[in-house]
Amino acid sequence: MNKKRIILTLIILFSFVIPFLDIGSYNLHLVSYSLIWVILAQGLNVIQGFTGYVSIAQAGFFGIGAYSSAILSLNLGISVWLTIPLAIVISGIFGILIGYPALRTQGHYFAIVTMSFTMIIWVFMMSSVKFTGGEEGIPNIPSPSSVFGIDFSLKENYYYLILISVLITILFIYRLMQSRVGRAFITIRENEQLAQAVGISLLKYKMLSFTISAMLGGFAGALYVHYTHFVNPTPFTVDYSLNAILAVILGGSGTIIGPIIGAFIMIFLPEYLRIAEEYRLIIYAVMLILIVFYMPKGITNLIKIAYNKVLSKVARKSETKK
Amino acid sequence: MDIFFQLLLNGVVIGSYYILIALGLSIIFGVLDIPHFAHGSVAMFSGYIAYIVVSSYNANIFVAIIISIIFATIIGVILEIVAYRPVANAPPINSFIIALALMMVIDNVATVIFGSNQVSIKSSSNQVFNFGSVTLSEQRLYLLLTTFILVTGLYIFMKYSKTGKAIRAVSQNKEAAQIVGINTNRISSIVFGLGSAMAGAAGAFMGILFALYPAMGGHTVMKGFAVLILGGLGSFPGTIIGGLLIGITENFGVALLSSSYKDLFAFVILIIVLVFKPSGLFGNRGL
Repeated sequence: MNKKRIILTLIILFSFVIPFLDIGSYNLHLVSYSLIWVILAQGLNVIQGFTGYVSIAQAGFFGIGAYSSAILSLNLGISVWLTIPLAIVISGIFGILIGYPALRTQGHYFAIVTMSFTMIIWVFMMSSVKFTGGEEGIPNIPSPSSVFGIDFSLKENYYYLILISVLITILFIYRLMQSRVGRAFITIRENEQLAQAVGISLLKYKMLSFTISAMLGGFAGALYVHYTHFVNPTPFTVDYSLNAILAVILGGSGTIIGPIIGAFIMIFLPEYLRIAEEYRLIIYAVMLILIVFYMPKGITNLIKIAYNKVLSKVARKSETKK
Repeated sequence: MDIFFQLLLNGVVIGSYYILIALGLSIIFGVLDIPHFAHGSVAMFSGYIAYIVVSSYNANIFVAIIISIIFATIIGVILEIVAYRPVANAPPINSFIIALALMMVIDNVATVIFGSNQVSIKSSSNQVFNFGSVTLSEQRLYLLLTTFILVTGLYIFMKYSKTGKAIRAVSQNKEAAQIVGINTNRISSIVFGLGSAMAGAAGAFMGILFALYPAMGGHTVMKGFAVLILGGLGSFPGTIIGGLLIGITENFGVALLSSSYKDLFAFVILIIVLVFKPSGLFGNRGL
């Protein structure tokens, strides 16, 4: 347990010095973008990994958060420090509205119903030009105003806002999963009938889980939009929902580390495959298939196995020395 | 009133395209519990094969449709053996990812080979039938006939043939089917072959009536799933009524409201139905 703490502290310290390392502005951008995706994936993990309902609506909530914060700050002139929490609340409300009909279904059906909602949200973003700017989108979205002389229009400073948001999110998920509520989620995932039999209100907890995942999706969207200063419907299609699902699974669903690793893979891997040009997505998809064949529990599990192997080897060596 | 009947007929034509797609998805999903997201991509790719057969070899469109069906059947069986069978006994999420990845592979291979421009299959004759003031082109009539023949054929096959009975047995209880001596691997391949054959026909007609483009696979399969869930999984009448309902609603919706909301209608109907009846219009398991 102690060793884990040390590793964790080192990773957090390292993430704070990243902007000081000379990795170039594009790589820093990729890291920031990955961190936004960590929040998105952590949110999805609540419903998908812990509660066992694979939702294809995450990109929709990402979009709702992004557009809410953008429109509120730009058109109504509300401070960005307020529009981000408001965007989270609005996404939560949409989570309740969508969750109620969608959670009446299960399994693949649930996936397809949530996919339908993502498509509906996307079509509205494209078509209600007056409100969302349609395909051209909304430009000139403001940055959060300066606090203590820290100018958040600088990408290096905004990085810290994202990083702190990620840490708060992870802490929240960690606390949540240790609480009664979190254990209820896991019980529902393992066996719904049993959960009902021991007195867990299925609809209530599934709605709660889905709403939390919607709120975190919206949080990621709001952070994203004040980072890029521009929003159009492109990053909110069903494809991105699927990428979020893959991020959770690749990392290891139902774990807290999993979505973090998964989000970074989902952002960095396609970048490194750019050399393959038009074959990029084919290689990427074939890699996915191979991953499912050979390491279906995700990368976190693989690391765990490797770590245990090394540990047992070290232990054996020290024993023979004795 | 004439416009009403014309829209209705057009809706039935589109609807029968959706029926072809959804019926294939329905037997694959219903029997094997695989959400075959690459189904629309198989249709798209076979449509391109039909296009090549017509444009490069000047073949008759019937020959092209048959080649497209054969091609889709082969692809379907290969996908089942190579990609889905290894995860047959794994958690359902695995086949879900495999399906998505296959969709990406096929769509992008199509983009590399055929380019991303739209193409359509030109047929030599363009007769138009008039029923009063309602018109129906020759090709649209062929689609209606093909759908009718394939749906009836599949229904009879599933209901009366020995293989059809075996498929239904697997759909109801895979282990029990194995115990009574049904080769479930063979049944899986047959189910994929049959389902994909339907997609092959749909793909060829997509090229003949509308246009083919690589991203079409994804759009098609989503509509297919909407029809399938709307009608109720594994129900023949459900799939037919679901397909017609969505086809007709889309046509009227575009005419009355706006074409920018075209793809919404299917999903809005789907959600409304699910709120009141989560198992779909004709929801009951087993074909």
